[in-house]
Amino acid sequence: METQFEKYKELGDMIQSHGQDFIIALIILVGGLIIIKHLNRLLKHILERFTLKPQMIHTVNNIICIILLFLIVAVALEHLGMATIIIRRVLFLISLAVIGIIAVFRPLIPTLPFKVGDTIKVENLLGKVEATTIIHTRMKTFDGKTVFIPNTKILNDFVINYHFTNTRRIKIDVGIRYDQDILKVKQILEALMVEDPRVKAKPRPVVYVLNLAKGCVDLGGRCWVNNAKYWTTRCDLIEKTKLRFNQEGIIMAFPQLEVHHYHGDTSPGFSGEGNHMSGLEVK
Amino acid sequence: MKVNEALKVIDEGWLRKPKGFRVHFQKQVDSEWVIEYAPGEKEKALDSDVVAWRLAWKLSEAAKPDKTEIKEDDLINIYVVDDLGNPIKHYASNQFEILNHREIES
Repeated sequence: METQFEKYKELGDMIQSHGQDFIIALIILVGGLIIIKHLNRLLKHILERFTLKPQMIHTVNNIICIILLFLIVAVALEHLGMATIIIRRVLFLISLAVIGIIAVFRPLIPTLPFKVGDTIKVENLLGKVEATTIIHTRMKTFDGKTVFIPNTKILNDFVINYHFTNTRRIKIDVGIRYDQDILKVKQILEALMVEDPRVKAKPRPVVYVLNLAKGCVDLGGRCWVNNAKYWTTRCDLIEKTKLRFNQEGIIMAFPQLEVHHYHGDTSPGFSGEGNHMSGLEVK
Repeated sequence: MKVNEALKVIDEGWLRKPKGFRVHFQKQVDSEWVIEYAPGEKEKALDSDVVAWRLAWKLSEAAKPDKTEIKEDDLINIYVVDDLGNPIKHYASNQFEILNHREIES
């Protein structure tokens, strides 16, 4: 009982003599961590103004934050009264080692081929990346579903990153009947693409005759737009194509079957073994 | 003439690519007719004429004046203009259209 009392008394004395220092050191540490967090964001904004790769920005940011963290820890420990020279040497060596590991080995560490905010497609899942962790990537689909994809699946599969390049090509494929004016259709389609402010002037929009298919002539309009404008521009161009074709009297093709039915003596002669369908010709 | 020069002539002479679209309309403010735009002249213009015409149509339906009387909140003579203020054709009909058309004294 007495020994316990003595222990409590010792603890009380220690808190009385060093308690204030502990609290101040804790305040320095917590305050420093908050400052580092805000500085991290500010630094990221500043570095993004320079045309550096995102990985480089991330690496430089991490290095500066680690140095600041160790400085804050050193100040906190110094305030507690620990031997400063030894602390500084140890922290200096540790920080050098960490910086070296990050700078040298970071490019070798497999990274995900996208960053938060990118629109990606993995297998049949299309959505926006909301967060990445060591284990999985959180993605939100455009119909509101949240999907957690294991990073191993991403690293071992094809991934389409729609934000990797700034522009994307739009395809406007139409099929017109054989009796329609191809040149007129090409002019209309090209004019629709050229007139749209979102369509890039270079590469120039073009219209190709893709195929002389069964029942229709396939034409394809190709133009380039910024990634962010891809979907709305594509939908607008398709709508305008259909309406402009209506207005110009251009008839689009649809799958159809011509059936010629012959009666009696007017039927053409059928040849070929096993043909039991007299009087009918199907094209 | 080089191909690049020819393309430049085509770009300048064939079709003009507008830089944006706005919905033009007139409304009565303190018994005076004023011209306004949506989005406003100081705001960024719309980059799609489809969106602009859809906005124009919705405005015309929402603020349609009565057959005889035009009130303060009614919007008339609604159509879409490009960045130079020139009216543009409706993308569906390829004709110039004015929604809620009214003749007013200037």
